[in-house]
Amino acid sequence: MRVIFDIAIFTFKEGLRHRILYGVIIFASLMICLSVLLSGMFMRDISKILLDICLSAVSLGGLLIPFFLAINLIAYDLESRTVYSILSLPVSRSRYILGKYFGLCLLIFLIMGVLTIATFLAIQGGVFLFSAYYFSSISVTSIIIAVAVAALGNMVLLGCVFFWSSVTTSSFLVTLLTLATYTIGQTIEEIVRFMAVQTPGVSFSPIFKKAIEVILYIFPNLSSFDLKQQAAHAQIISLQHTGLLFGYGLAYIGVMLGLTIFFFSRRDLS
Amino acid sequence: MIQKVASFNQVKKTYTSEVGKKKTIALQNVSFQVNNGEVLGIIGPNGAGKSTALKILLGFVRQDNGQVLLNNLPPSNPKSHHKTGYLPEQPCLYKHLSIYDHLKFAARMHSLPKAELENKILAILERVNLQDSIKMPIRRFSKGMTQRGALAFALINEPKILILDEPMSGLDPLGRQLVLDIIQEYKQNGTTILFCSHILTDVERICDRISIMHKGNLAATITPNELKNINAVKKNPLQSPLESFFFQTIQPEAQKP
Repeated sequence: MRVIFDIAIFTFKEGLRHRILYGVIIFASLMICLSVLLSGMFMRDISKILLDICLSAVSLGGLLIPFFLAINLIAYDLESRTVYSILSLPVSRSRYILGKYFGLCLLIFLIMGVLTIATFLAIQGGVFLFSAYYFSSISVTSIIIAVAVAALGNMVLLGCVFFWSSVTTSSFLVTLLTLATYTIGQTIEEIVRFMAVQTPGVSFSPIFKKAIEVILYIFPNLSSFDLKQQAAHAQIISLQHTGLLFGYGLAYIGVMLGLTIFFFSRRDLS
Repeated sequence: MIQKVASFNQVKKTYTSEVGKKKTIALQNVSFQVNNGEVLGIIGPNGAGKSTALKILLGFVRQDNGQVLLNNLPPSNPKSHHKTGYLPEQPCLYKHLSIYDHLKFAARMHSLPKAELENKILAILERVNLQDSIKMPIRRFSKGMTQRGALAFALINEPKILILDEPMSGLDPLGRQLVLDIIQEYKQNGTTILFCSHILTDVERICDRISIMHKGNLAATITPNELKNINAVKKNPLQSPLESFFFQTIQPEAQKP
């Protein structure tokens, strides 16, 4: 455990010194600041618009870690052979993978944590500008659950980045495959719902239906980790639903990391 | 009895390219051993299989056939890397972190006692002449500084076996001398050293045994003393004995009158 922890801290430190991280924080913070002013244009839905934009910024901030930092840190590590410096130490490949993964998770928690604090400050800014009346229905619990579930969704995507990095040798390919995973993960539920509705004049071939079914089971359903709407409308997110999402997310991460370790342990780092 | 620190027994390795599946033989039934306390130099032209041999020894690459042992353990076992230091051909340090971060991390991975950590880091940085760049990120280092930093990374645990892949590449004469001095110092302390180099004069000066690799084969192994006594080595006034022996081994036809 100590080895994994040390690699995680080393990765966290490395990520903290990347300029990408600060670019992400500045962009998302600007988005949150802007949300206070923008929400004033929708007097009936001030809190909803403000929360919608703020939670989008929080999700986006966390999402940029797998997309930019993780690909940069993991795929580049293999491409530029900096991985040699860690694996020449008494460190197994499985611990290297787990340490790197948890280090990047810490970065996701940090960035989403900072942006969540910014969201609460933005709410206070909204209260100051437009009166507390418009924000009376806000549920802090729903916001926190929505952020926690969004962080889990980003961790799932991060697991996919690790998996793709273990089976390919190019960081460009890892970026493309992660983008494809993200797009499929965000849209697959919509497609399944659309197919379930009997639309007159629209029919699907059995092969297409089977392919969608296979994709549904293989790729992560990332849209299910998006609870922004519920939080923005101050809806109570049930414990059962949250537990189910956590169970699904953690199981998916476990499978991804297991496969990553399996492939990475058999790979030549030449 | 001579104790083996590392050994290769009939090791074969073939690389297959991703495009076209073209096969390249990197090592063909290579066997050798590194004895405790000796300095073994591996020389050979580019593509001879030197770096592949080192990568297999460290477990970065898997051999197709044969047995490899490092500290009596297969290299895939992380315990085989205890008391081992490795300097790769291209120093692989994280450019956003400082050399201090690297050394602290390496020291923790080697389970060095916390109380000794700071003093050990400062001492090793002083030894490689980087004491003024402790907190500087690696991206601001020159090539020579990075090479010395990577050497410090390899030496932090006071290794019993030191594996060096082209340790002098990219160094200016001062840096090269510093690295040579450090290798000599570790040799005198009884550290087992396995190193690959293109600079034959350095190999001749430092090594107890020299192996020549060519086209994935171990073409010859010789000691500096044997080298002096071999009459068969065609003496060329412009070449050192090792250079003459090297060229005669890898290009026997070219050396014939």
